Amino acid sequence: MSLYSSGTSAASSAGSSVSSTTKPSEIDGLLAGAGYRVRSSDLRHVAQRLERLDAAMVNSPAEVSQLASDAVHYNPSDIASWVDSLLSELNQTASLPSDLPELPELMVGPGLNQTVLAEDAWTDHDAPQHQQLNNQFPVMTAMEEDSGIRLVHVLLTCAESVQRGDLAFAGSLIEDMQSLLTRVNTSCGIGKVAGYFIDALSRRIFTPQGVGFGGGVGLDPAYENEVLYHHFYEACPYLKFAHFTANQAILEAFDGHDCVHVVDFNLMHGLQWPALIQALALRPGGPPLLRLTGIGPPSPDGRDSLREVGLRLSELARSVNVRFAFRGVAASRLEDVKPWMLQVNPKEAVAVNSIMQLHRLLGSEPSRNSPIEMVLGWIRNLNPKIMTVIEQEANHNQPGFLDRFTDALYYYSTMFDSLEACTLQPEKALAEIYIQREICNVVCCEGSARVERHEPLAKWRGRLGQAGFRPLHLGSNAFKQASMLLTLFSAEGYCVEEKEGCLTLGWHSRPLIAASAWEAPLALPDANSPAAAPGIFVNPHSNPPINSL
Amino acid sequence: MAGSNEVNRNESKMVVPLNTWVLISNFKLAYNLLRRPDGTFNRHLAEFLDRKVPANATPVDGVFSFDVFINRSTSLLSRIYRPAHGEEPQINITDLEKPVTAEVVPVIIFFHGGSFAHSSANSTIYDTLCRRLVGICKAVVVSVNYRRAPENRYPCAYDDGWAALNWVNSRTWLQSKDSKVHIYLAGDSSGGNIVHHVALQAVESNIEVLGNILLNPMFGGEERTESEKRFDGKYFVTIRDRDWYWRAFLPEGEDRDHPACNPFGPKGKILEGIKFPKSLVVVAGLDLIQDWQLAYVKGLEKAGQKVKLLYLEKATIGFYLLPNNNHFYTVMDEISAFVDSNC
Repeated sequence: MSLYSSGTSAASSAGSSVSSTTKPSEIDGLLAGAGYRVRSSDLRHVAQRLERLDAAMVNSPAEVSQLASDAVHYNPSDIASWVDSLLSELNQTASLPSDLPELPELMVGPGLNQTVLAEDAWTDHDAPQHQQLNNQFPVMTAMEEDSGIRLVHVLLTCAESVQRGDLAFAGSLIEDMQSLLTRVNTSCGIGKVAGYFIDALSRRIFTPQGVGFGGGVGLDPAYENEVLYHHFYEACPYLKFAHFTANQAILEAFDGHDCVHVVDFNLMHGLQWPALIQALALRPGGPPLLRLTGIGPPSPDGRDSLREVGLRLSELARSVNVRFAFRGVAASRLEDVKPWMLQVNPKEAVAVNSIMQLHRLLGSEPSRNSPIEMVLGWIRNLNPKIMTVIEQEANHNQPGFLDRFTDALYYYSTMFDSLEACTLQPEKALAEIYIQREICNVVCCEGSARVERHEPLAKWRGRLGQAGFRPLHLGSNAFKQASMLLTLFSAEGYCVEEKEGCLTLGWHSRPLIAASAWEAPLALPDANSPAAAPGIFVNPHSNPPINSL
Repeated sequence: MAGSNEVNRNESKMVVPLNTWVLISNFKLAYNLLRRPDGTFNRHLAEFLDRKVPANATPVDGVFSFDVFINRSTSLLSRIYRPAHGEEPQINITDLEKPVTAEVVPVIIFFHGGSFAHSSANSTIYDTLCRRLVGICKAVVVSVNYRRAPENRYPCAYDDGWAALNWVNSRTWLQSKDSKVHIYLAGDSSGGNIVHHVALQAVESNIEVLGNILLNPMFGGEERTESEKRFDGKYFVTIRDRDWYWRAFLPEGEDRDHPACNPFGPKGKILEGIKFPKSLVVVAGLDLIQDWQLAYVKGLEKAGQKVKLLYLEKATIGFYLLPNNNHFYTVMDEISAFVDSNC
């Protein structure tokens, strides 16, 4: 006999005990509307767990308080797994009250006790949340001037004309916009970012060959990019967030392993790695042997910038007694990297770290054996313990120009807004140029030149799931660390949110960057698996690996 | 002791649908983990656990939303919900603050619940509720992301509410055809409490509020009332947790007879003779603090103010979060009539 009220039949799949139309695997629609994913068939089980925890709360409140402060929580949307993990934590610390009768395990079935099923939370469910991919506006300042709004209106009209192919009309609008710009506050808000977008549109309209970046001083673009990147890193917390969230996850994944290998898809100055090296040095039980393979563009002038970075990191590792080996892999594009270049040892625990690199592999049309599929394929075949993926939380890879333009306008508007909080110069100015280049690429470039093909987390989930990756949830400890670091380093207004095991960092209520972690369960051996072949470097200038042994 | 707790759990299960029971029990569990005995609050964990949803300028079920700064310097945000008019598949920035077109457009300023400490304007449960209100009342809803306790005690939440009221009142795009903004205040739990206090301030400053809607409003006092004693621990709520939240919100050293908590208590303001807005007060018959809510209604009546009490005998807290019970529909109908009657 059901102890639960059957409720009135008012709405849909209310998970009521009398409902016979709901399929067992269906998510309760009403709870989904509240942000929770619970299968209708699991409701009873979850309720029982909640009762047990409630009883524990009453009988041993001290233990439960301890639980709150010490335990790491994951994926609160999945109530079933959350309560189960709390219960098992509690089981380890205190005993449950004995007077609670053993509640019968109803609905015991094959899939139900597993925490993650392959097709689980990652299939594109038509839940309301997923529709919110579109049109996330920047948080509005109530004081937006009339001219600001008008400017945006003309910008969108111009973009729409570009999409239609009416370049003459679009061109005439550029003039209008430039004059409107003079009447708007261009030091902040929509006025500031509008300037960049007008510039980008102008390039697109008047130089149809498509340009790369905005007005470099003729220096090596890769070097320039590194400098800008470094200032972007300093001026705002997005890259710092990416680094420490990824490091936390990698650290946890490496737990218990003595030989670990990190593959960094974009080494730059290696800013991410000192913290990981130090954390590994302090690991209880001692540090593992750490190998780092850093991928980056080749340096033209005979310098081996990868090696230089490797040397610095090696020095650091030596100073904290971490056995460390570095290898640089020079490649202009990620798809040129072949797995055998990474020299992964089957006995190592591998972490693949991709910070804003995967989107560069996308084309605007899905195709077979596309670069992204190829790369994801070989990553998977490495059987990494973890792959950390940080990407811009934006929809800049839509086929329609106007959609792309609109999304970018709002995305970068929010990002510029957040940059206002930075007072460091020249960091802020150079960070703006860094962002401006991204804008240019999204707006002006097409085909293979357009590399800033950002896609939102929901799409990456689908893509990575299909490629055979399983999510590894980022928990409350990573969340807390991120929040605390933000309060230390950045202005108020940045906010971290948890979304189904991933973390996003945004400005006020608009997420701008998303961090997720993945694992690849054991793949079947196939022809593409890296054999234990001797390494051959792409870059003939590359030297043997740097060791600090 | 344990036996009676078992009885308690069974009782709450009898009166709500299973998914509602899971939802509210989940909150109860989470909230227990967040409140520390020393009066501090685990804010990081709270933000981690809270389910949130971004604003969406693409209409969903005829409603779109966007976030605005009411006050940039204090980071006071609000989420605005507007009805979409059929033809627009895509809202762009110029439409967000487009003037409302109907003859009379009610603007509901909404204060979410959470006992002053929990939730945000972008919490999923409140985003969902506000969207419903837009549909039901054909209104624009402004959901205020007020500062929370214990980090921000009285009167921060009220100050933020007041700022929001002024902001709404001065938006030309929210004016109805008579060039006035038709304002209603609504809120549940602590939000209901905020409604009362902001309305009071409005009266004192001559800003017209057309009506107050209080859903299970959070009031209290030093005395232990019958309902508190009778329902303690029975339907998701305990006296102990109520006390904790008041201690977190009220100024240090103050007791629950402080007028913020007990507006008609010994330190309360006199409401006779002032032009206080008409009120709709919804009381759940299984709510621990109903005696305080009923006392509030009585207080308004004695002061000659217009108040309608909607007493829902078998309702528990949070019944309005999921549309799977009769109380939900009753209340939505009442709210709709309440907001409509002023045309």
